[in-house]
Amino acid sequence: MRNKETSENAKIKQAYVNAVPDICDVILSDCEKGKGTVVMMAETKKKKSIVKYMMAAAGMLVVLGAGTLLLNSYQVNYKVASTISLEVNPSIQIMVNEKERVLEVKALNKDGAIVVGDMDFSGSDIDVTVNALIGSMLRNGYLNELANSILISVDNDDPVKGGRLQEKLTEEVNQLLEADGFFGAVLGQTLMNDNTLQQQADRYGITTGKAQLIQQILDSTTGHTFEELAPLSINELNLIIASGAAEMEKVSTLGNASDKAYIGEEKAKEAAFAHAGVAAGDVIYYEMDMDVEKGVMVYEIDFKCGGYEYEYDVNARTGDIVKNKKEIDDDMPRGTQSPSGGTAQTGAGASDGTAQTGTGTADGTTQTQTGTTMPSDGTQTPAPPAGSSGTYYHPEQHHEDYHHGSYAPTQGGSGSTGTASGTITLEQAKEIALNHAGLTADAVYFEKAKLDYDDGMQIYEVEFISGNVDYEYEIDALTGAVWDYEWDYD
Amino acid sequence: MFSLTSMEKIKADCNPEAMEQCLLGIGEQDLKALEEFYYRTSTSVYGFALSVLKNTQDAEDVMHDLYILVWSAAGKYHADGKPMAWVLTITRNLCLQKLREYRKQSDIPREDWEVYISNNGQMSAEDKLVLTECLKNLSDEERQIVMLHAVSGFKHREIARLLEMPLSTVLSKYNRAMKKLRKIYGGEQ
Repeated sequence: MRNKETSENAKIKQAYVNAVPDICDVILSDCEKGKGTVVMMAETKKKKSIVKYMMAAAGMLVVLGAGTLLLNSYQVNYKVASTISLEVNPSIQIMVNEKERVLEVKALNKDGAIVVGDMDFSGSDIDVTVNALIGSMLRNGYLNELANSILISVDNDDPVKGGRLQEKLTEEVNQLLEADGFFGAVLGQTLMNDNTLQQQADRYGITTGKAQLIQQILDSTTGHTFEELAPLSINELNLIIASGAAEMEKVSTLGNASDKAYIGEEKAKEAAFAHAGVAAGDVIYYEMDMDVEKGVMVYEIDFKCGGYEYEYDVNARTGDIVKNKKEIDDDMPRGTQSPSGGTAQTGAGASDGTAQTGTGTADGTTQTQTGTTMPSDGTQTPAPPAGSSGTYYHPEQHHEDYHHGSYAPTQGGSGSTGTASGTITLEQAKEIALNHAGLTADAVYFEKAKLDYDDGMQIYEVEFISGNVDYEYEIDALTGAVWDYEWDYD
Repeated sequence: MFSLTSMEKIKADCNPEAMEQCLLGIGEQDLKALEEFYYRTSTSVYGFALSVLKNTQDAEDVMHDLYILVWSAAGKYHADGKPMAWVLTITRNLCLQKLREYRKQSDIPREDWEVYISNNGQMSAEDKLVLTECLKNLSDEERQIVMLHAVSGFKHREIARLLEMPLSTVLSKYNRAMKKLRKIYGGEQ
């Protein structure tokens, strides 16, 4: 099947290769003529429009028109007073003159063309035009309960005038949506004249307005890239803005973005807690953001419980866990944390309790936390030997606790404490990681497995892939405890 | 200057590193780099423009404008390992601009590539057959997806981004298109 497909693809490629006219020489000579200048974009167009050029020697306007059309994609230089863009997913640009009369309405994508349809707005008032366009978006289902956000960007050389027009339109659109018995979210912004934004917009095939909105999100949050945000709808971007603490000083907002297309924060929280095996009542810190992860809207849920920090990404539409991470809570004092942390990592609830108790003994300040985060099953192992408090390692204890762990894999029985240094081998570390992930060696491909030092501790870093999931583990080389793990869709 | 044979060799070779190397050269106004870039990318650019516009003169115009733009804008390209995506995004914008021009003049672009294919002397009988079948049996979107995958070596995810379609749509359209083509080719063999 695969071979057949490749040979078909090769045939198709060959046919296309032979179908291309060779105009390389023309291009090279055109480029050479205009070497170093950008004006040649208009010049070459003239050359290509030579028929038109001769046809109408007096018709310089035609050439100018053709030239400008090409220039438009690289520099916004409309001879109009303001350019207004409406963006939902349909993108529409409206050019108006000084008197706010419409000169031209352009659809910037397919959906935009559907919204504009065969309406001709030339000479109409901007209010009438916007009214008709919003009406058409509602009729065509682009604005609805599930996705109710619209971005209005105004570009005017005079920022004061632009700002005024933008405020007026934002207010009007909001009223229009309200009058329709519909709770919309209107984002308004005045465009800054910024070439970098224009380039980004061209590069991703989006409007400058959307590019500016994305740039502002990037400026006020971390962990996003332009590429990742560009394909999102305005509603999705609005959800990210609304959930983050992002201060969007250049954007005015009215109304709230709809999250009705998603499962909701409560369900996402439940999914994350259930996956982590913690009870909501035991969680001592909690934070939720809406975010995008590899093009998918997710609830990003961070919480702390039982001496661990958890990070979850829950698919906002399906409720599937797309990413999770569990780490020792860094806010705990380092000296006491390491040994007990190691213990805690080894297993389920019971040893967590031990860990916390141990820490508590060593450092009175964390005692309260111990109380609240005690696993609900109430199982407790005895407090660690006195010597372990505040010391870095106690191999024997680790090994014991390690065997309490549900995934205790390799060294059989209780004889495992025997290894003098308490270190495990790389192979054992791999097996521990596999067992923890619930996979077998033949189902995975190891990308990395090596001994490393992390904060002075010996850690095996093990990374492998199974299907389209990437796993990363950090295994304590002394105890075999899983220090940290993370998995993620490739 | 590269000899014609060396250009033949790199024709439609979309190796991203080599393409980025070319773009660096073009940024420094090196015509040889542009020539190499042209031969590496023109099949994709023209093929894509043709599959959107379905008019050979328009596709050629877009191809011409594209390289002139690349010549002046290569410096603005951020090396991210996806030069072809950059080029085809600009190509698409130029094509959409062309279509808008037509719409504004209430003109319907003339579709002429069927005639062109049958008259093109460079193409073998099989080439003509393959393209004619693509033309006759596939929808516009299916043809664009098949072309981007086969000629430009785009992954389905990249096609989805370029055409602003959900990945699942691209995948199902691609599979449907390949099924159709396989049936046709299979039927003839």
